Amino acid sequence: MVDQALLLLRIGVLVLLYLFVWRIARTAIRDVRGSSESMILSPGHGFDPKPPPAAVPVMPATPGRLVVVASDILPLGAAVVLDQPEVLLGRDPRAAAVLDGDDFVSGRHAMVRARGGAPTVTDLGSTNGTYVNGERIAAETPLHEGDEVAVGSTRMIYEPGATP
Amino acid sequence: MRNRELGLIALALLIATAGFAAVQLARAQEFASSPLIAAAFFAGAYLVAHLVVRATLPDADPYVLPITAVLTAIGLIEIYRIDATLARDQGIWIVIGLVLFIGVIIAFRDIRRLETLRYTCGALAVVLLLATITLGAQVNGARLWIRIGGLQIQPGEFAKILLVIFLAGYLRERREVLAAPTRKVLGVGVPSLRHSLPLLIIAGASLVLLVAMNDLGSSLLFYVIALAMLYIATGRLLFVGLGAGLFALGAAAAVQITPHVQTRIDGWLHPWANEQAQCCYQITQSIYTIADGGVLGAGFGRGLILNSAGGTIIPFAQTDFIYSVIANEMGLVGAAAVILLYLLLAWRGFRIATTADDGFSKLLAAGLATAVAFQVFVIVGGVIRLLPLTGLTLPFVSYGGSSVTANFAIAGLLLCISQRANRERV
Repeated sequence: MVDQALLLLRIGVLVLLYLFVWRIARTAIRDVRGSSESMILSPGHGFDPKPPPAAVPVMPATPGRLVVVASDILPLGAAVVLDQPEVLLGRDPRAAAVLDGDDFVSGRHAMVRARGGAPTVTDLGSTNGTYVNGERIAAETPLHEGDEVAVGSTRMIYEPGATP
Repeated sequence: MRNRELGLIALALLIATAGFAAVQLARAQEFASSPLIAAAFFAGAYLVAHLVVRATLPDADPYVLPITAVLTAIGLIEIYRIDATLARDQGIWIVIGLVLFIGVIIAFRDIRRLETLRYTCGALAVVLLLATITLGAQVNGARLWIRIGGLQIQPGEFAKILLVIFLAGYLRERREVLAAPTRKVLGVGVPSLRHSLPLLIIAGASLVLLVAMNDLGSSLLFYVIALAMLYIATGRLLFVGLGAGLFALGAAAAVQITPHVQTRIDGWLHPWANEQAQCCYQITQSIYTIADGGVLGAGFGRGLILNSAGGTIIPFAQTDFIYSVIANEMGLVGAAAVILLYLLLAWRGFRIATTADDGFSKLLAAGLATAVAFQVFVIVGGVIRLLPLTGLTLPFVSYGGSSVTANFAIAGLLLCISQRANRERV
């Protein structure tokens, strides 16, 4: 009787132990999948499937873009499409431009906002700063055609969209 | 997130209850209520810790606390199996550890507060280590302990955490100047002496520790932590290579100078030559014990752990050699599960480091994870004769107040860092 009970407890503990390990390890697999899914930036893969919300700022008919001209982590020619009132750049998987893998990019690094059609870029208190045309920006900075935005190793040129 | 934590803690408690019941049953041959009471205390302590986390750090990592619960449960089960009085003490230490854990998460809910204390922590670490060298009592060849009243404490465990905090703050500040070489020596860029001096001092100090405290394990641990954090801060492999080379030189010198280290190396390379001698008895008994466990283990309370006099067959089975006891009673399967638990803990630590937003948090989380992971590697490697045996504790599992409480402080810090990292993502 005691022997059977002991055997049962022994197997029970081992089973529970592996159940515990498995339940945590399962999230590790999800972690890996999740982050690869949110990598949205590749050439010819721009428009967000969901339509832009009826936002207060006036959105241009065809959105402007930030085209990657140099980067350690993104392919050249990839583009961040500025089709939302607020477009987040950073390592955060929920950012519009996910810059994961670059040590010099913060989780929430910079925000590009639509301001009546002409966008602006704001540094969100990142560790290594956001640069426009080589100058580290301190405040919200308007972007003009051909301006270069640099975040970590990634440099992007602003191309305005067509206004209606 | 917190409900996931609660679910996993419940699973841990189930493991604890089953384990206690098994040991008690094997010992007395009948069921009794005492293991249930022990499990209830254990459950109560973790429940309080969980509720405090829920209130103060709602977005913190939900896996760290349950992993510590399973590890402490396994440790407590095997210590109870060795000696019921020791288990009661260990239970008290776990409660004190959880109190410290709660203290840490309340005090450093905003981890940036810790960054301002970096030099205080650095100084405190030095004071603790100096105190150990001067006031320390020599136990089993190594000078690790300070006696205060009736209490023995091992300051090295706490100095380790303080050192990681200091290094995280220091390297965060100096990261750029260390990564960018100013001069070239033999064609390799090296940072200026002014900025690397404190690091060289740490490297030198850990070698001094080795000689002064006769403690191979701690000095290796400190050295590796410093090196790993330096690499994480600068991303330059050169430092790792240089550091490894320096350590090899230091270790070779230590073998020549200190007889204690020489004994340990001998015991590692040729244990069977003089099995009964002091150098090798522990390690050979450990290997017999592990082998005796087989794949599925002897079962709780059924392993050959105690000799006829009631002492443990392996000297210090409850501290340094607890892993051999686990391997004996839970077998290869159980011992592998314990390693997996540490793997998960280290993974959570590094995961917290990658999601953290500021350099200090990143370095701190990575440093703490390295400390725990490397300590497990060194002591488990020691008891299975992969490495020379060094007297380190198995985090959360080994018997000992300093070790248990210090490791709970590490868990608390990891949770605080993850709270800040996760909150920022919203």
